[in-house]
Amino acid sequence: MAAVPSPPTPTSSPAPLPSPLPPSASASASNPTPAPLIMPSAIKKEEPDSELSRVLKFLQENQLGDAAEKVKRAFATSSPSTASSSSAATGIKTEPATPNVGSQPNNVLASYESEGDPRLYERVYHDLVEFVHNSLDLYRHELALILYPVFVHMYLELIYNSHESTGKDFLDRFSVIQETFFQEDIKKLSFISKKEHMAGSELMENFQTSQFTVRMSRDTYSQLRQQKKYMSEKKYTILWNIIQEHLYLDVYEGIARNKGQIVSTAGGVVGEANRQANRTKIFHGLPKEPDLANYLSVAAESEDPGEEGDKAKKKKAKKDLSFLRKQRNDPNAPSANRMPFPELKDGDKIEKAKKYRELQKRLRLTNESLPSACFYTVLNAKESVTAVELSDDSTLIALGFANASVQVWSLLPYKLKPLKPAETLMDIDQDADDVFHRMMDDNKGEAFKEFLGHSGPVYGLSFDPNKDFLISCSEDGSIRLWSLQTWTCIVNFRGHMSPVWQVLFSPLGYYFASCGHDKTARLWSTEQSQSLRIFAGHFSDVDCIAFHPNGNYVASGSSDRSVRLWDCVTGACVRLMTGHKKSISCVQFSVDGRFLVTGGEDRRILVWDVVYGHLLGDFESHGKRIIALGFSRGGSTLASASFDNSIKLWNFEKFTSELNLEEVNVTHNPNVDKDSKRLHMATFYTKDTGIAGLHFTRRNLLIGVGAFH
Amino acid sequence: MEVDKDDKDDLGVAGSGLLGAAGSDDVGVTEGSAALGGPLQDEKDTQSSEFVLRSDSVRSYAESIGLSTNQIGEEAIIFMSRNLRQILQDASRIMFHGKREYLMAKDIDMALKASGLEPLYGSVAGEHIPFRFASGGGRELHFGDDKEIELTDLSAAPIPKVPMGVSLRAHWLAIEGVQPAIPDNPPAQSKDQLQQESSNPLTKLNNPDAKENKLSQVLQSKPTKLKNMETVNVKQLATHELSVEQQLYYKEITEACVGSDEGRRAEALQSLACDPGLHQMLPRLCTFIAEGVRVNVVQHNLAILIYLMRMVKSLLENQTLFLEKYLHELIPAVITCIVSRQLCTRPDVDNHWALRDFASRLMANICKNFNTSTNSVQIRITRMFSEAMKNVKSPLVAHYGAIAGLQELGPEVIKVFIVPHIKYIADRVDQANDPNIMASSMGNIDKIAATHIRNLIIKSVSPVLKGIRPPPDILEEYKAEYGSFGPLLHAAVTRLRQSSKTSSSSSGSASGSSSGGVGGNVPSARSVMPGSNPVMGQPGNQQPRIYVMSTNATSGVQNTPVQMVMSPTVGTPSPTNASGQPRMMIQTPGGGVQGVFIQPQNPQ
Repeated sequence: MAAVPSPPTPTSSPAPLPSPLPPSASASASNPTPAPLIMPSAIKKEEPDSELSRVLKFLQENQLGDAAEKVKRAFATSSPSTASSSSAATGIKTEPATPNVGSQPNNVLASYESEGDPRLYERVYHDLVEFVHNSLDLYRHELALILYPVFVHMYLELIYNSHESTGKDFLDRFSVIQETFFQEDIKKLSFISKKEHMAGSELMENFQTSQFTVRMSRDTYSQLRQQKKYMSEKKYTILWNIIQEHLYLDVYEGIARNKGQIVSTAGGVVGEANRQANRTKIFHGLPKEPDLANYLSVAAESEDPGEEGDKAKKKKAKKDLSFLRKQRNDPNAPSANRMPFPELKDGDKIEKAKKYRELQKRLRLTNESLPSACFYTVLNAKESVTAVELSDDSTLIALGFANASVQVWSLLPYKLKPLKPAETLMDIDQDADDVFHRMMDDNKGEAFKEFLGHSGPVYGLSFDPNKDFLISCSEDGSIRLWSLQTWTCIVNFRGHMSPVWQVLFSPLGYYFASCGHDKTARLWSTEQSQSLRIFAGHFSDVDCIAFHPNGNYVASGSSDRSVRLWDCVTGACVRLMTGHKKSISCVQFSVDGRFLVTGGEDRRILVWDVVYGHLLGDFESHGKRIIALGFSRGGSTLASASFDNSIKLWNFEKFTSELNLEEVNVTHNPNVDKDSKRLHMATFYTKDTGIAGLHFTRRNLLIGVGAFH
Repeated sequence: MEVDKDDKDDLGVAGSGLLGAAGSDDVGVTEGSAALGGPLQDEKDTQSSEFVLRSDSVRSYAESIGLSTNQIGEEAIIFMSRNLRQILQDASRIMFHGKREYLMAKDIDMALKASGLEPLYGSVAGEHIPFRFASGGGRELHFGDDKEIELTDLSAAPIPKVPMGVSLRAHWLAIEGVQPAIPDNPPAQSKDQLQQESSNPLTKLNNPDAKENKLSQVLQSKPTKLKNMETVNVKQLATHELSVEQQLYYKEITEACVGSDEGRRAEALQSLACDPGLHQMLPRLCTFIAEGVRVNVVQHNLAILIYLMRMVKSLLENQTLFLEKYLHELIPAVITCIVSRQLCTRPDVDNHWALRDFASRLMANICKNFNTSTNSVQIRITRMFSEAMKNVKSPLVAHYGAIAGLQELGPEVIKVFIVPHIKYIADRVDQANDPNIMASSMGNIDKIAATHIRNLIIKSVSPVLKGIRPPPDILEEYKAEYGSFGPLLHAAVTRLRQSSKTSSSSSGSASGSSSGGVGGNVPSARSVMPGSNPVMGQPGNQQPRIYVMSTNATSGVQNTPVQMVMSPTVGTPSPTNASGQPRMMIQTPGGGVQGVFIQPQNPQ
């Protein structure tokens, strides 16, 4: 039930459910874990009362009375409040679906019922096009936004009322004037040529379950309203009915946007994001790092034992301390207990301290000091490498293959060793200093380890930040957790029923997210076999995901050409960003968590402001689809890899420093920076090796991985 | 629902066939169009109706699973087309997640699986599936070739090699932002770029790198001064500094190429032929070759000349180099090796013919690769050879070289430039064979040359003659036209005709296009060579001749600041070292043999 994609509601989401994420420390196998929560955004408003009552009954049975109460309240207020709030805010009479439309899912189609003369449609649409073309330049581009949705709905109306040949003529005549990025959808549409075809088409589902959102300024809207007076003849009622029933006109105060602004955000399957969708406050800051002062010296010791005197060591430690103290409390950071994380163990802290020491030695990347790049070519694996991942400390590389195997290679000259068998482990002195060394079985060291378990191509891999686990996902719908100590499979997570495209560990460990062909992204923890959250809302495959650096949010990119940001705590979709003209293939958060960078099949790299969901930058320079994105440590440089066998570096620091983020607010769209040449730092071409993954080491050495064609 | 089920079965049975029948563009488009978006994005111009399967192909599938054709209506066809498209789109998504740009059969399998259909087991082909085409009875049909495999053959066949295991290999893609020129990386400058620069040096100025150059900034800010300063600036940009590694490489390569160790030479030549990133050293290498030829022709060092020509061959083979800029150095060197009057110390014994043949082939190769309408290399080369051939004063060896050079350029050139002069050549050869002249040693050399010329002419001209002369071969005609070569040519042509008859090769003439040219006299032959003599050494000189041809006046290499002292006497007492192997010495002005002898000239 929760997996049913539901429209982004124009109202703010219902009050968030209390979401008891399992407190990791206390979670044990004996405690019955709470049932997977139903995402507020996943509840369909149009659900019939009987279903609602069933939901309520279920909640009450599970002693979730509080939640039930909220669901009841939210449901009671949602429909009326939508209408009232939008009309109150904008003073217009465009309203979301009329109440009777949604009473039964099948009846969505019934709204296409019309007695209109089929021959009128072409005339009416032609008049609408004429009107748009003859309107003032100032408004023309915004008005043109309604052409596509009206076109689609008119066609569907024709088909629904069995005027197939008229519909085909209509499609042939007007499909050429639609934007190029909609052509693909129009082709899908052309296959719906009978009333019976209307059910079951992915595109149809998207159009019938949601209203196409069009943002326009008040002035533009009044133009449209005036026009309605002129076009008041009876034949035009088909037009106005469609606009009223199937379009959501999001009217904002201010001047109409220019062509560039409109084009940059157009392209979503169901239109743009409306304002309300991006209203929620996002805690994009980074939480304070745990106090590592005591561990830094330990890390230093383990790194260069005996090389320096005590004095020098202390000095160093002090320097490190000052670095840590500089961290102020970020006002935008989520509170530490917003999302529960397991306590860090001593070993983890030492590992973290090591990381910071390394990071301090990193190369500062500027236009003058470009990074070196090392490329790992996978040989003898033509067409079969489907996933690549490096561990954070760049010592391990994991490769996923089309033959369902996973290989982990050590990039250091050390061999990969398994733990000794349990009987021998008993004999080891647990207090010995080198207890970890002694636990390893030296005799069984290998240059690489192979994991077998999946039954389809492995599409995603991710290392746990502590390098204890590797997680992999596959075409067979399963996600597997592998131990890097025993080199065996520990858990098989089931939930996705169709191919899983990507899986990703949270930057703080413990949680991981996955996304797949079933149009959902999911949040999991390593301790529970059920998913904790299901992020449903995309209209097509979710192709890629990224964790926010503070672990509280997940961004997802989809084949429906939109990017969504999900709150892991409430499970709600908090940002919807459109602008890509084709499917999105990779997403990545900037290191400071403020920006989101996405790359797509349309060869463009887009930079978004997480705070308001605005598009800020558009770098178009690659010759083919973008495959991977990566930020340098410190975040000053963005690297992008593409199918054109090139890696490009972009000066992200320059980009952010030139932004004027003070002026930006929710309604005011900033101009999109398209000057990609200015920010371009370098391009590295491989000879004939496709690039499958990008990684920056802690000292800012760029590593690329790919299979030789 | 029934139709629905049938269709799915249909897809299952003949899915791969469907792709072929839907029109080959359907498959072609899905392959490799990922960059352009959806698999069918390319077909923007085509009407939607073309996505529909053809009804006759659908019917033939229906028949293949035992349905009568009447049951298949328009509805089913549209439905099938829609399903097929859906599957293709899913497959293209799977293709992307497989990090590929081209669709494979297994993608379609997985797309079928994802939409709940049975995958097509066994259709996974390693290579392209060839579709056959058949027509008959007014119907056209595409089908996959289904070979029968004998089980015993399969079991008796040797077990194929186990494929190599996966391995990782690391290389530096970039070092501090610069891509090192190693075989793992693509060439630093693409061939197009080099070509652009050679044809228009000013493009370099517009290069972003050149913008940092002070002078070019001045140039760009004050376009009025452009004319005055242009030459200065181009010179300056043409200075190349070699890194220490490149200098070492250069030293190693040149030493290995002309040294005595055959193994090292093979490696060095291999390196010249394959390594990318040589373009910076190219001016030096070309100068090395040109100067080397100049010196060793004087020395009659046949071995060194052969080695140098092999270097030229390797450079020509290197795909990453663009040699056009350096032709003005290479061509004279190669031509010298073809037509020089003496290439070795003992012309009567040594096989300098091989060098002339080898260099001729190189020349033909250069003409083939670099001839353009602007530099007209081939026209100039041809003209020069034919002048040399007709020159009465030049020795017979030079004649041999000229003929060898011409005949490598193809049958058309042979027809126009050699055939009309066979009689003249025959007369010269007869003179050489005249017993009165035989007395001197020179006469002996000429006699050998005469034999070689005769053999060469007969070998190269007879196939052409066979093409241009009408069949009845009359000995008298041949004698009249080709002098003393007549009988031999007659015999060779007759033999060729017989062999071609017996081998029943149906193709006509060797030179093909010629139709009117009866006999050897082609009156228009001279009109092919307009203008005057190319720059050419005077024949009869005692000095070894170096033919100099300028290719491109704007070419920047004459500015290359190479300082070379070529002296066979300074440095080592004798040009021949202990092993008897001739050595060429290249020295710095400072004296002493150094690997590093190229100093970028300091501008001003």
